[in-house]
Amino acid sequence: MTFFSSLDEACNAVRTFIRRCENEPLTSGFNELALGLFAFQFAHNTPYANLCREEKHTPETITDWRNIPTVPTRAFKSLSLTVLPEAERETVFRSSGTTRADRSRHVHNRTTLALYQASLWSWFAAHLIDDSPNRLLFLVPELGQAPESSLAHMMDAVAKRLAKLDHCFAADGQWRLDAVAIIDYLYDCATQNEPVTILGTAFSFVHLLDHLDDNALEFQLPSGSAAMETGGYKGRAREVSKAGLHRSITDRLGIPTRRILSEYGMCELSSQAYDGTVGQANASPRLFRFPPWARARVVSPETMQEVAHGHAGLLQVTDLANVGSVLSLQTEDLAKCHDDGFELLGRAVLGESRGCSLMNLNHV
Amino acid sequence: MSESSLDYFLADKPGAELTSSLVAEACQTLRHNRDDYLAQIGNEPIIAKLTEVAALWRSSDYELRKIALAASPEETGFPPEVLAAGLDACFEDWTQEKFFMLLAQEFGDATRLQSFASEPNQTLSMVHGPQLIAHIAPGNLPVPLFQSIAFGLLLRSAQFVKCASAKSLLPRLFGHSLHTVEPGLAASLEIAEWKGGSVPLESALFAEADCVVASGSDEAILATHQRLPFAKRLVGYGHRVSFGYVEKLACEVMGTKAILARAADDVIAWNQHGCLSPQVIYVEQFASLKPDRFAEMLAEELVARNETMPRGPISTKEAAAISTARRFYKIRSANNVGALLWESEGSTDWTVVYEDEKQFQTSPLNRFIYVKPIEQLEEALHVLEPIRESVSTVGIAASEARIRELAVPLAKWGVPRICPLGQMQRPPLAWRHDGRPPLGELIRWSALETA
Repeated sequence: MTFFSSLDEACNAVRTFIRRCENEPLTSGFNELALGLFAFQFAHNTPYANLCREEKHTPETITDWRNIPTVPTRAFKSLSLTVLPEAERETVFRSSGTTRADRSRHVHNRTTLALYQASLWSWFAAHLIDDSPNRLLFLVPELGQAPESSLAHMMDAVAKRLAKLDHCFAADGQWRLDAVAIIDYLYDCATQNEPVTILGTAFSFVHLLDHLDDNALEFQLPSGSAAMETGGYKGRAREVSKAGLHRSITDRLGIPTRRILSEYGMCELSSQAYDGTVGQANASPRLFRFPPWARARVVSPETMQEVAHGHAGLLQVTDLANVGSVLSLQTEDLAKCHDDGFELLGRAVLGESRGCSLMNLNHV
Repeated sequence: MSESSLDYFLADKPGAELTSSLVAEACQTLRHNRDDYLAQIGNEPIIAKLTEVAALWRSSDYELRKIALAASPEETGFPPEVLAAGLDACFEDWTQEKFFMLLAQEFGDATRLQSFASEPNQTLSMVHGPQLIAHIAPGNLPVPLFQSIAFGLLLRSAQFVKCASAKSLLPRLFGHSLHTVEPGLAASLEIAEWKGGSVPLESALFAEADCVVASGSDEAILATHQRLPFAKRLVGYGHRVSFGYVEKLACEVMGTKAILARAADDVIAWNQHGCLSPQVIYVEQFASLKPDRFAEMLAEELVARNETMPRGPISTKEAAAISTARRFYKIRSANNVGALLWESEGSTDWTVVYEDEKQFQTSPLNRFIYVKPIEQLEEALHVLEPIRESVSTVGIAASEARIRELAVPLAKWGVPRICPLGQMQRPPLAWRHDGRPPLGELIRWSALETA
């Protein structure tokens, strides 16, 4: 088993693995790296180690990444699930929520943040970037306005990587859209015949589409334009089915379905899944795929054992890029695994608001 | 008899397409049938037939009961053992005496439904129910709907029951038992199922009905309200929560075993579905039995109960809600941060969480119960302030005298129903749902003033 004596060493190993996967997606070594990271987290993440000891699943007993104890995403709300000492917890990703106690907290330092950026960029580029030199319209606040949002971090990293492309951040710190700026920007893209990629949460898209509806506006954005939506609604907008949302994006903005992607991510993870690749004929139903350094499993909520492909259960994700916290997470999402990806079925949480959004808003 | 041989109500015909005109026609037929029979008969025959229906349902050889218990839990919502216990508890209460008591409670004089009867203020008065009631049936428990239908019959109302999709089996079986006992009664009852929110069908129904009785989430009730024509009456029952309360001397008075058995009764009844089931049990601290020990012993009791009355299979979504919550408490428990967890192994059959945090917690149900410490009732009412408007029932373990004492502040605070622990899901026939009169909201009074 790989042994890591420091966080830097562990992060470097994962970065190397990511680079290898970029060239060769079937790179071997996932299990070994996962076990090494598990041992590292077991040694340095006390609340997590307590759980593992209680369950008698420790680095001495585990030989398969599938048996690494999972932490429920909800636990990030009340426990400090990190290997970082207090002084190094420089950046905090918080999920949305009405009160502080109701929000997950995932901390990073410079090293883990750099790994987060490497992980997100690699998979983002593979799915959202093709030959089209698109401008970027973020329905997301600038990082300075929302420093605790993982999505704002992600979009900031994307904007920096694509610095030579023109971009616009069009939401304020409360995630309110600047409709005038958006319309101007889209109008400019359309008249200059410059394709644009619009990125944002599902609720921001709904707000935008509603605004277009209210003002009887419609765009036929230049060929090559694309959209990426993520997250859910949580009462921030009327809820729209994913298919309905994508249809409206096509109708109102002229972006064809094959250039509209959904992203699945959350503040507790460092990697994201996409349900297709821009411009390709994506299978139906759309299946989400994590990068090779993050693996999804679906377990029976009754027995917690992995279920056969095609059966519904709880989604668990083992994300090697989560070096500084916990690599194996149990989400609150229901999913079905298929041969080449997973299908999201909805939230596992019961409540009065039945039939709520399919997606997780933690990412925002 | 088999389920497929049932053919009387709209919902008996699977796949039959409903249209708004079909709903409207059905309502008109119901009104005619009501005028011809139900509106003509007295209280006695109606009550006699209802008690006859109840007696049938309580008999283990009754064909329709057998169909209900043999149906898949997906269709009924419950495994056979839980369903049988719930049906028995309901129909046990359907006696002639209790029905007449209900009428007396609501109208002072049961004959007021048929003729003018005198009132203390020298006038005469009579009551009459709506000619046609539309029920938007709750999707969780079957028995409140059976009661509602019985109440509608007592008020001589024709009734159209709209069930949620795939939730009509038990209402239909109940309707068929009425039909066997007295076709005249069933002739003024229709049962259909469709997915809630189907505007054309519901608009047709609302247009025909004089009164709509709806159960569901507060949002659903509000949505129904907004769609009702102005003059129509809506009797809406929204979502409520309930909790148990173990007073500190309860163990000395009742014995620990008895309290645990009663707590388990309440957790198991209808697998906690329904507004009257406890989601949290508060246990007074500084007593001989510590709250965390109470939780541990309740877990042992639930193990034993699962043998005699298995929880049964639940949907993936429900199980996922339980395992998600469990995993959260597992890691908190391992870290000694004010939470302890007891859980069935290899299944989600039962779960007990002890938590220091005193706030009310919504349980994922299906035998998932929170146990929380509390100093005394005053503190409980303080921490429960955010849910004050939503509380339905408080089940108390204490001496009878102490229950009476605790009931006063609870009632003043706004709790509509206080009962002994162990009876939370067994309200009496005449209970006031959410503190409201069971028949009083449906009827209208006519006064006859004398010279």
